[in-house]
Amino acid sequence: MTSELSRRHLLQIMGIGFGAATLNLGAAAPARAQDKDSVVIAWPSDVPSWDPSQRTQPDAQPIYKLIFEQPVMQDPDLNFIPGLFTEWSLAEDGLSLTFKLREGVTFHDGSPLTAEDIRFNWYERVQESLGGGNKLDIANTWKNVTDVTLDGDHAGTFHFSQPMPTAVQWLSFMANFVVPKAYIEQVGIEGFREKPVGTGPYKLTEYQVNSRMVFERNEDYWGEKPAIRNVVINVIKDPSARAAAVQSGQADLTINIPVRETQRLDQTPGLAAELNPVQRVILVQVRHDTATADQNLRLALHHAIDKEALSKAFYGGAAVPLTLPVTPGSPGDVEGLTFAYDPEMSRQLLAASGYGPDKPARVRMATTNGHFPSDFDIARALVGMWKEVGIETELETIEYAKYFELNRGNQLPDLTLYSWENATADPEIFIGYMLNPDMPFAAWRGEEPGNRIRELFQTANYEERIKGYQDLNKTVLEMGASIPLLQSVQTLVRKEDLNYTKYKNGWILAQTMSWS
Amino acid sequence: MFATIMKMLLRRLLVAIPTLLVVAALLFVVLRLLPVDPAAMSLPPNATNDEVAAMREAMGLNRPLPVQFLIWLGQLLSGDFGMSIAFRRPVWDLVSEALPATIELAFLSMIVATVVGVAGGLLAFYFRDRTAEAAIDFSSIVVLSLPEFLWALMLMLIFGVWLQWLPFMLRLDPQFERPVITGFLLLDTLLAGRPDAFMSALRHMILPVMALGISASPAIMRVLRSSLLDTYQEDYIHQARLRGLDERRVLLRHGLKNAFLPTLSLMGVQFGFLFGGTLLVEVIFSYPGLGNLMIDAIRNVDLPVIQIVGLAYCIMVLVISTVVDMLYLVLNPKLRVR
Repeated sequence: MTSELSRRHLLQIMGIGFGAATLNLGAAAPARAQDKDSVVIAWPSDVPSWDPSQRTQPDAQPIYKLIFEQPVMQDPDLNFIPGLFTEWSLAEDGLSLTFKLREGVTFHDGSPLTAEDIRFNWYERVQESLGGGNKLDIANTWKNVTDVTLDGDHAGTFHFSQPMPTAVQWLSFMANFVVPKAYIEQVGIEGFREKPVGTGPYKLTEYQVNSRMVFERNEDYWGEKPAIRNVVINVIKDPSARAAAVQSGQADLTINIPVRETQRLDQTPGLAAELNPVQRVILVQVRHDTATADQNLRLALHHAIDKEALSKAFYGGAAVPLTLPVTPGSPGDVEGLTFAYDPEMSRQLLAASGYGPDKPARVRMATTNGHFPSDFDIARALVGMWKEVGIETELETIEYAKYFELNRGNQLPDLTLYSWENATADPEIFIGYMLNPDMPFAAWRGEEPGNRIRELFQTANYEERIKGYQDLNKTVLEMGASIPLLQSVQTLVRKEDLNYTKYKNGWILAQTMSWS
Repeated sequence: MFATIMKMLLRRLLVAIPTLLVVAALLFVVLRLLPVDPAAMSLPPNATNDEVAAMREAMGLNRPLPVQFLIWLGQLLSGDFGMSIAFRRPVWDLVSEALPATIELAFLSMIVATVVGVAGGLLAFYFRDRTAEAAIDFSSIVVLSLPEFLWALMLMLIFGVWLQWLPFMLRLDPQFERPVITGFLLLDTLLAGRPDAFMSALRHMILPVMALGISASPAIMRVLRSSLLDTYQEDYIHQARLRGLDERRVLLRHGLKNAFLPTLSLMGVQFGFLFGGTLLVEVIFSYPGLGNLMIDAIRNVDLPVIQIVGLAYCIMVLVISTVVDMLYLVLNPKLRVR
């Protein structure tokens, strides 16, 4: 081109866009989360609903605990302490529970908390759900509540049709929060979900689905007021993006990022990283009626697993190898009990059942991919370990949401890699649920140990019940009815000068946070 | 011209109805073929088999598939978009919150793609047969070969993590309250008289917009350059020069105007792809749009949400192609005569 169109003209045309962008860049202030009166938390998931009793989702519980409160609370060591109940007493026969309600507590709308609210939550709403109304995940747990009778405004009694020895534990467990009867009757359940009201230390001031939640301190809170006035929770589902958010200063704290990222960020000035064991077990659920009906095969599968190696490979060695499907030191644990990693024993057990190099044992296993850290990688490692001893595994990936549906339809494969969270650490909510043939969680539907579990569900005496579960755990180990792997760890990265209280069950509560 | 445009709009509408019906039917059938029971998914995990059976009956899942489809279609037409399984909220609430965010993202990205693409095309044409053209060509191939999510990660690392110039998560800095007027955040911050919040929202959009826009620009650049080369073979270019017009006017008045038509068609297609690209980019930047909602719905097997978000994408693509056709009509006199 013999050009009169000068290079300058062209550059002028193009320069407009780039120039504007550059100006914007220059004008952009560095993003900083930190402000001494607020905290920004990068969280892996949104709440499923603002009705805290509707779904039992572990990650949502610390968020609910900002707004709502429970009758019984837990301290960082998981001891049960007064929450909205100041006193409680379970009858010796386990058929009733009396309580005294804290006085002077108000909901965020200013209305007082009364025993009517307790009856509403644990009887009226449960009955409505059981009758086909607004479905609550807690309804089946409390289906044996025949009534909650009131003794004035601040006392009452739960009545059960069958013994409920773990009523106190359940009152502190997931989804068991107090929501206001009068407010819900006034605005309807949809109105409540739009603008939730509780008695907790924070009020919800802004919410955008799948994006962010903003909380403001409840200045009328009955208990010790939180040090931090504003809490912003940003929902960031991608673990690497959460790590980047803390590294760049756009968030003050995050959890559940890859172990390698946690270790890397621990070296970053101004940040502190932790790998904390929590009340969550990783295990292989076993079916009793397929290829794994053979006890030798089940035990061979278990003996072939090098749990230390799994912990080192996927959790930086911080995940504690498990012998029983309970967390170490929890009430159902049996001290000193071990189960050997012994590939040779696996081969012998397989040979005893007629398997060998010419006739390998074949099993099918399901795993999630991304439901908990390194789940798919652990499954692949297990496949490799089992191959070493002569077990061929067909691995399939399922969504966690499908586990219950497959289980209900008896369509789970022989084995399923699974994780189970139990913030209370009570053995009923570990093995009592995971191997209970009457529950949707159990892949193992055999009458044993099912019958023994049914008996323990009726055992009101605490010591007797715990001893029963310890014995049951040993039996399950000998039967190979469950293959426990590791106690899960929670990865956490925070600004070094952000303090928080560490709970053994992994709760990250903004009301315990403060800046140095 | 108005009558021609109206005719075209009517024709488009007539085509859009069966298109939407086919897409709705496909979505419905494919999702029903998945080995997933929507009734069971709608209930708590500890629901009994009887409860699931009752729910299946209530949801009409025991009826023949075509009947189920007609029931669903009837509900859609009456404004009942269903209830999200994961969020227990009306699907329309979720989609109507997320859709404006995605439209804003895609629209701004398309502007970036157009500016970068057109500028690149002009540069490449201007420097044709020179080393600079080869350099531009090479750059465009590099940009083209990297998918948008890689751009997203690179931009996030460079400008967000290392340089810490720009925020890269969500849409506003923590200190700002989100005004809700139209649902379009940039517009709402202005309507609410919050220029500081507007700037915050704009800064939050720079990285996702650049990631999508940059990756959509090479195709525009290459088509524009190629069209310009073809256009410059036409007689009217020589005649324009003979009339004494300077090269700048020849390029802008005759060359670019005629070469832009094929580029415009491509931009329509690119805009459609760009909507698809928002899926991963939104997840990476935790951007609360349709893509994020869709990925979440897929993860939770939230069938009612997947269906409606799928339809929303389809409607957006239909709207974009109609708008592009309208622009084509306005810019191309030949079509108006026909």
